[in-house]
Amino acid sequence: MELQVQLLMNTLQIGSVYVLFALGLTLIFGVMKIVNFAHGTFFTAAALVVTSVMMWSVDTIGMPIWFSYLIAFVMALLVVCVIGFVVYFFGFKYVLKDLNGSFILSIGLLLLLNGTYLILYGGVPRSIPAVIPGNITILGASLTIQRLVLMIVAAIITLGLYILVHRTKLGLSLRAVAEDQEAAMLQGIPYRRVALYGFLIGATLAACAGALMATVTPVTTVIGDDFLVKAFIIIIIGGLGSVLGAILGGLLIALIESFGGYYFDPSTATLAMFVLVVILLIVRPQGILGHAEK
Amino acid sequence: MLKSNPGLALCILIAIGAICFALFSGDPYYVQVVIWVFANAALAVTLRFVLLIGELNIATAAFFGIGAYTTAVASTILGWPFFISLLAAPVIAGVISSLFGWITLRTKGPYFLLISFAFTEIVRLIYTKTEALGGNSGMIGMFPPMELDAYFPAIAISILAAILFGLYAAERSNLGRVFKAIKNNEDIPRSVGLNVIGLKILCLVIASTAVGLVGGVHAYTNSVIAPADFTYFVAVLALAYVKIGGEGHIVGPIIGATILTLAGQFLHSFGPYENIFYGAIIIGALLLVPGGIVGLGVRFKAGTLMGRAGR
Repeated sequence: MELQVQLLMNTLQIGSVYVLFALGLTLIFGVMKIVNFAHGTFFTAAALVVTSVMMWSVDTIGMPIWFSYLIAFVMALLVVCVIGFVVYFFGFKYVLKDLNGSFILSIGLLLLLNGTYLILYGGVPRSIPAVIPGNITILGASLTIQRLVLMIVAAIITLGLYILVHRTKLGLSLRAVAEDQEAAMLQGIPYRRVALYGFLIGATLAACAGALMATVTPVTTVIGDDFLVKAFIIIIIGGLGSVLGAILGGLLIALIESFGGYYFDPSTATLAMFVLVVILLIVRPQGILGHAEK
Repeated sequence: MLKSNPGLALCILIAIGAICFALFSGDPYYVQVVIWVFANAALAVTLRFVLLIGELNIATAAFFGIGAYTTAVASTILGWPFFISLLAAPVIAGVISSLFGWITLRTKGPYFLLISFAFTEIVRLIYTKTEALGGNSGMIGMFPPMELDAYFPAIAISILAAILFGLYAAERSNLGRVFKAIKNNEDIPRSVGLNVIGLKILCLVIASTAVGLVGGVHAYTNSVIAPADFTYFVAVLALAYVKIGGEGHIVGPIIGATILTLAGQFLHSFGPYENIFYGAIIIGALLLVPGGIVGLGVRFKAGTLMGRAGR
């Protein structure tokens, strides 16, 4: 029982980060009909910014850790928004709805940005001090408070996104554009601006995931790429463009990873995910919650 | 046929020239570079072959690896003779790709792209976790037999050139036209009674068989293979060759592979800057020269190079 609770906690904690990451990817796909292979670089950028800001503010200025983390978090989101804005305006703007073109562009960006990070930060992993120290015991399973807070924050962000997409006017235009771009434009929705918003929201979600992840794991310049394959599996399972699908898919993949990784080993768990995808493709090619293909 | 197609005649001459160079040149380094150029060209052309039906097949990298590992297992573990080990590679790659295609080609576009990406990474994971395949360090000791050793570079180049010409012939055949028709609008070939899914699988199998053979040649050329050689990045570079050369014609990827492979020889010493360079060149080619070098040539021929309006 204790073990299962521990594994379940683990699932929720990995899952919450997966969900944020996959939500960004699926949102960008929904609005722009492109697969962003450079999504991991947003994650990495945020995590790297958090480490450097905290190193500066805690060590040099001596700010309290929680306060400097807040500043670092905001800085990370800002930096990623700027990166997102630049790559949209000088790149993605030209390959909207062009699957092959956007693939190449995002791979080019992946190489360019990862190379730049490596030059700026070097290959040594960096860690930040614990923002909230201490442990907590839930049903016999021990958990650092930090990880609990991470889960809660990720859940709040996910909820916020869900409300944004389903309850606001911007969300309505995002969904309209995802559904049928031309019909949406006929209704007076400015497609390019909505695409930009969708892209920036997606990038910000990856940045949130990265900034949160920096608190619990050492940061390297390729940290975001590890999430990419799993995020792809998640959005295939959940259906491209589906918000709920990304949430369910993320939790499912985290469940397999956590339990499979414990009872067998991590690579068996990854293989199991792929087998799941194969079965799903045979039964339901458009994903659990995806729309039928046109 | 050759009289009406001087370009093809020129390509055959270049291939014969390259084989002669491999036979008579004294410098193994330059011979190696020529083999790399041909191998990369073959990778790019097989990637482009699946683009004929409109799908971007990252699993090109996976079948390249499957071919290489098949040859490695056949020659080092099973001890099969040289040519049989080499031929086992396309056979196994073809069989696995037919299964892969049967499952995945029900989807298309982004789903197929993502699935083929995940497949590539998973296959690589299997190599690293299989002790018999050498795990992370891979396999060593694939050597051509002693009596063939001197001729091996020429054999390798001949095989790779044959793949290029074979895929060109396939594209020019009626089958190739049907593939292009599927890309344009798959409902029309379906409406005249063609089995579209079956044809898509056939296209994938042809390309994967070819790239499996390239993998077999790679195993013998390098004598050492490791899982890290077969990441999705192989397909990304192949795509870069296709894009820079131009995907409108089969010589596009060949030109792209030649230029970037030669340029890559100078960039190896640049460390992280190498990736930045590749990234910049890929983005630049995509945004500034959308039709690739072949596209530039076509526009130049049409005399509209200066008068191009937007994309």
